[in-house]
Amino acid sequence: MDIELSADDLKFRDEVREFFQSHDYKPGEDYAKWRLDWFKAAREKGGWDVPKWPQEFGGPGWSPTQHYIWEQETARANLPWDLPFGVGMVAPIIMTYGSKEQQERFLPDIRARSVNWCQGYSEPGAGSDLASLKTKAELTEDGKHYVVNGSKIWTTMAHIADWIFCLTRTDSSGKKQEGITFLLFPMKQEGIEVKPIITLGGSHTVNTVHFTDVKVPVENRIGEEGKGWTYAKGLLAHERTGLAGVSRSLVALEKLKHQAGTVKRGNGSLFDDPSFRGKLAKLEVDLQALEFTELRSLARAASGQQPGPESSILKLKGTEIQQRIAHLTMEAAGPHMAPWGGVNAGPKFARGGTQSYLGSRAYTIYGGASEVQKDIIAKNVLGIRSQGGSN
Amino acid sequence: MNFDLTEEQQLLEDSVARFVADKYPLEQRRKLADGSRGYSEDHWKAFAELGWLAVPFDEDDGGIGGGPVETMVVMEQFGRGLVLEPYLPTVILGGGVLRRTLAGDQRADLLGKLIEGKLQLAFAHSEEQARWDLNDVTSSAREDGDGWILNGAKTVVFNGGNADLLIVSARNSGGQMDTDGISLFLVDPKADGVKVESYPTVDGLRAAEVTLKDVRVAGDALLGDAGKAWPIIEAVADEALLALCAEALGSLDVMVKDTVQYTQERQQFGHPLADFQTVQHRLVEMFMEYEQCKSLVYRATMEYAQNGHEAARTLSACKHLIGTAGKFIGENAVQLHGGMGVTEELRLGHFFKRQLVIESQFGNSDFHLEQFAA
Ligand SMILES: Cc1cc2nc3c(=O)[nH]c(=O)nc-3n(C[C@H](O)[C@H](O)[C@H](O)COP(=O)(O)OP(=O)(O)OC[C@H]3O[C@@H](n4cnc5c(N)ncnc54)[C@H](O)[C@@H]3O)c2cc1C
Repeated sequence: MDIELSADDLKFRDEVREFFQSHDYKPGEDYAKWRLDWFKAAREKGGWDVPKWPQEFGGPGWSPTQHYIWEQETARANLPWDLPFGVGMVAPIIMTYGSKEQQERFLPDIRARSVNWCQGYSEPGAGSDLASLKTKAELTEDGKHYVVNGSKIWTTMAHIADWIFCLTRTDSSGKKQEGITFLLFPMKQEGIEVKPIITLGGSHTVNTVHFTDVKVPVENRIGEEGKGWTYAKGLLAHERTGLAGVSRSLVALEKLKHQAGTVKRGNGSLFDDPSFRGKLAKLEVDLQALEFTELRSLARAASGQQPGPESSILKLKGTEIQQRIAHLTMEAAGPHMAPWGGVNAGPKFARGGTQSYLGSRAYTIYGGASEVQKDIIAKNVLGIRSQGGSN
Repeated sequence: MNFDLTEEQQLLEDSVARFVADKYPLEQRRKLADGSRGYSEDHWKAFAELGWLAVPFDEDDGGIGGGPVETMVVMEQFGRGLVLEPYLPTVILGGGVLRRTLAGDQRADLLGKLIEGKLQLAFAHSEEQARWDLNDVTSSAREDGDGWILNGAKTVVFNGGNADLLIVSARNSGGQMDTDGISLFLVDPKADGVKVESYPTVDGLRAAEVTLKDVRVAGDALLGDAGKAWPIIEAVADEALLALCAEALGSLDVMVKDTVQYTQERQQFGHPLADFQTVQHRLVEMFMEYEQCKSLVYRATMEYAQNGHEAARTLSACKHLIGTAGKFIGENAVQLHGGMGVTEELRLGHFFKRQLVIESQFGNSDFHLEQFAA
């Protein structure tokens, strides 16, 4: 057992810090240009624009410790915006299950951030029970195209996306996990209708997407017909560990402490209020534990082993903690949690605090709702065999 | 021992319930909230005609002489519809101050207008540094001949932008935290030196920041005796707490019931969600929290009806439980609705947001637990 960073790791950390500092956004700068320049510079560092990609696809080939350092540092840094769907989600699938041609065709644009992707999995009738999805893809008689019909829901950023990776049903005769086919196709084409869904914070990020006779060339199918579930499932597990956000939570908690210090209570501040302070402390305790849960999981990965039981709780605990931080931030604003829409009332941090809290309610719903995640742990980790639930 | 409503109270409940069912489907509420005043003037007229604005006032004042139970009945039903009309600021808070302080012609005039639905009020009391300490007042009142000069800033004043008259608290003597030395004034929001910046709140209501810069008011603007407003502030705050708790109770009931219904309708894995035991138990826990809230709302209302401010500890218990149970019920209702729970499309999300704001009004659950333990 040893938790000290090696001299090399420390050197790496300094290098990362130096990079973030020297490429930081300067007020007034053209944001879009800065963003693309940033990714270019990160690429020149040797794959820092795609930290999680394998080396053969241009990734940096970092050790788990280096990944951990990177995550810690990015939590504090001001990184350019980046949607998770391209580099983080569809790329690993294309790398693992796509053909050489597909890799050459799609990966460069994904890496350059010149094409935006969205994830078309969930449907009105298929949320937690994703495998029951119904969006139909039928092969044309000449075998050259699929014709896609059906509806997706909750598709994040579908309204700005250029491409979608989509689970479709090509066969409904067998088990529901069979007969699912993984297709890629452009969003800006006839037969695709995107409608906004407004969420509690009043913002538009998710959509419904309707497909009417959308033609998709067979070359856009990933892997074999009917095997899409296997491909998607590997990615879901991957997606979930990324959702723990330990480093970001640690930074958010520091910020909250500082904000609480600016809210006057009696002769001191809210930070001196015993019940508020107690809640902050409890969060810190849980985060200290979760940080090491994540490290244990990383260490295991470093030694080339399968993810252990500890990794299964990262998403559940991580999102619960993020929600508690958001709630406590809203609570710190006191009566000023109420003013809405850029109003100048009360402490500065109050603006946006309520919005973040409302947004955080979705963390335990997407990427596998908590109740269903617990079923998975009961089955796969605790080895409980039951007939009910989602198993 | 009797927890039943009297015949009159039952009639009142039925009439408010009918109104809410009729006028407050989500779409209509949305339109009203987005309108210029954020509520319906027609509804307000109807409130007057139905006698709801007269509830807490004495018969001598043209009221119906209702007590805390009648207010609870009205507010609980309002909570079921997420009613936007400013009953709390105008009738409970503003009316509560006026009926305790005015006399003679001024009393007859203003209470008469209020009951007829022709007067909107706002209680401009809280200040940014005070958070929820009612005695923390820095706004100042200086005697000036036969009138007063007011200075200060008031924050999150509900209905501030619609009010015909503001009831402003200001200190004419004593230190920042002294209960002694606070006075209440009637202020015309259009008077020189008054600035009212109105904005929407997260739950679709309206509030305002109010600043007063060398505002001169006449002698008869002083409500009650100079420096002696504390018991009045305490009394209307008690009544506001009760009203908010009753409103929350109505909202919580809707959230629990909507979730029970939704989980029976929504199918996943070939079953209604409510078939899964985890979901059942969660629903039962939500229901139990709701029932506990109901008990404390009754208890606080009845104790207050009997003992007035001596019931303050029970009022704090009630607001505390409404806060913690509201969080538990609200968050779980959203969670069990899945993606639908976080949208603006279902009414659930709007109830959830109102619950959050109620928690921030007149002291949150931590604040009242502390009061309770003190
Ligand atoms: C903000 C947001 C962004 C999203 N982005 C995307 C996206 O980009 N692409 C995409 O494809 N999807 C996306 N989703 C969809 C998301 O993955 C689904 O919402 C999620 O899978 C849950 O499905 P559901 O909403 O249908 O809820 P349901 O499956 O109906 O679940 C409702 C509730 O019941 C519980 N439940 C379900 N089954 C069981 C069981 N067996 N036992 C106990 N409890 C159970 C759930 O835990 C949940 O609390 C997004 C969702 C949100 C809210």
